[in-house]
Amino acid sequence: MAYTLDIFRYDQATDEVPHRDRVEITDLPDTVTVLDALEHAKAEIDGSISFRRSCRSAICGSCSMNINGTTGLACKTPVNAVLKADRSVQVDPMPNFQPMKDLVVHMDPFWDKYTRLKPYLQPADRDEDHATERRVSPEDMHKLVAVANCVMCATCYALCPVVSVDPAFAGPAAIAYAYRFIEDVRDSKRKERAAQISDDYLWLCAHCYACSYCPKHVDPHDDIIAVKRATIEEGLVDAPGPRHALVVAKTVKQTGMLHETEVIQGTVGRFNIRGLIKVAPFGLRLAMAGKIPPVFLKPVPKVDEIRTIFDTLEAPTL
Amino acid sequence: MTATLDKPQIRGKSKSAQMRKYGFFPGCVAKESCKELFNSTMLLADRLGIELVELTAASCCGASVLNDTNRDVARVLNARTYAQAEALGLDDVITICSTCTGHMRAANKELLEDEGRMAQANTILGKFNAKYDGSVTVRHLLWLLIDDIGLDELKKMVVNPLNGLKVAPFYGCHIIRPESVNGWESARNPHSLEDLIVALGGEAIDYAGKTRCCGFHVQLEKDGIAANMVGQNMRMAKDQGAEAVITPCPLCHLALDGYQADSVARWGRTDLPIFHLPQLVGLALGIDPATLGLNKHIIKPGLILEQHDLAPAHVA
Repeated sequence: MAYTLDIFRYDQATDEVPHRDRVEITDLPDTVTVLDALEHAKAEIDGSISFRRSCRSAICGSCSMNINGTTGLACKTPVNAVLKADRSVQVDPMPNFQPMKDLVVHMDPFWDKYTRLKPYLQPADRDEDHATERRVSPEDMHKLVAVANCVMCATCYALCPVVSVDPAFAGPAAIAYAYRFIEDVRDSKRKERAAQISDDYLWLCAHCYACSYCPKHVDPHDDIIAVKRATIEEGLVDAPGPRHALVVAKTVKQTGMLHETEVIQGTVGRFNIRGLIKVAPFGLRLAMAGKIPPVFLKPVPKVDEIRTIFDTLEAPTL
Repeated sequence: MTATLDKPQIRGKSKSAQMRKYGFFPGCVAKESCKELFNSTMLLADRLGIELVELTAASCCGASVLNDTNRDVARVLNARTYAQAEALGLDDVITICSTCTGHMRAANKELLEDEGRMAQANTILGKFNAKYDGSVTVRHLLWLLIDDIGLDELKKMVVNPLNGLKVAPFYGCHIIRPESVNGWESARNPHSLEDLIVALGGEAIDYAGKTRCCGFHVQLEKDGIAANMVGQNMRMAKDQGAEAVITPCPLCHLALDGYQADSVARWGRTDLPIFHLPQLVGLALGIDPATLGLNKHIIKPGLILEQHDLAPAHVA
């Protein structure tokens, strides 16, 4: 049965605004992938339709695009899995990028954030004549296996809601790559790398798990958390992000609860008058609605058990 | 996705469900700045004829933040909470917060799937003579309403239907993602809140923001970031005709209710009142609106409730 590709069309060289084309596919079954259907449309119907693709088998990471409003690899998405009720599939360029032509976007911001990481090993000794191997144990290598599967398709970057409102955020893939070098025992720049990625707003990750839709199952989110722990281990704690994490830990250890009022003060800084003035309107609004979180919190029963857990695990707090 | 839905661990009638008596983990925010969520949950439980036994000695779930400081501490804290539920003979722990749901389920999954981690937790719990046997399932009140009460049953209990009130669902990330942890419904295209809104007599608004992030967890990291994320999502809801929003998460509630005022410059006025899940269900089930804490919101729902004949404006 026929189906329709509803395609975003735009050419930055000639078009002021984008438009859409509906291309009917009649002689290709709906069991093929969205990429197959696009290639068919380009070959048989309209040669001007532009999109990136190369390997057709989820290895090169070129064909990431928005399919019915959510991002993924076109070569990994069967048409019949995404057909709408009217037997159409809507394809758009990845969000969080400037479109260039049709489904092709300007990837520069994504690559810039990657390049800033210095994405190559920086060992302590430069072994110019390669006299010896740099050996890594299987246990140490195991930590890097998942991120090694990243094909830089930018699906996570396109799905990231923080990037969508603040393009300064490094985004999931770059942080996962920071993790790849920070956790590599052969590398010598752990602290510098942690500082660099902190400057690129590591702590703006909102923990939303949108990047858990990674088509290669890299799950950048776990790497992001590991990089945050590395920055704390490296002593990079004088910023709202790490202060927030550490003051939450402190209040949970003291009271068993996440103590809201103390967490706000601890994150912003008790003597950071400008910062406190900035959060004041929100607090005032809450107070006027009758929402006054307790200033002092009574610890939960058996709070000493909670402290035992923190102490045994040597979990850091503010 | 359907494969994960049939997991007996999630869908099966638990011992707690049969007794209509559940372990209850309210979470920190419902005990601090969103007390109206705690109160309306207890009123709703009473109306549904179920007993929620609060785990009063429980700790914070870790709120996604404790993992940033230590890999193990949140998991062991949650194991302690589950041990308390088991000691009370309860195998279901009900949450009223998306973040609690996701992080408690993630901790439980790690404990159940990794003997080493379970042993580590029980070694520490052993220091104060506690033990977790792995029998607990963590579920959100939303899942309890649909699985244990049932939408048909709920529909029969509606005495104050929402009269076509256009309600936008806002799920909150951690009740759906990652799907490997939650898996109760599709993370990309969930519909439980929509089904619930319709069962209560409202009209469910579809919009792309419903599964996006509210920005709560980064509200203090950089100026304006949460306001922008809130504004973006509420704009989408408003443009689709929403008159109000329902959320199963008090963190989302705080952000959506609190930051719409700060997002006007970039996203325009939205002024959407935000309801906690049990408030809107309670209203439809005929609980006295004056007791549901509807007046504890920054964006007052009074006018919209009066327009739809749901409550007099002055109670909200």
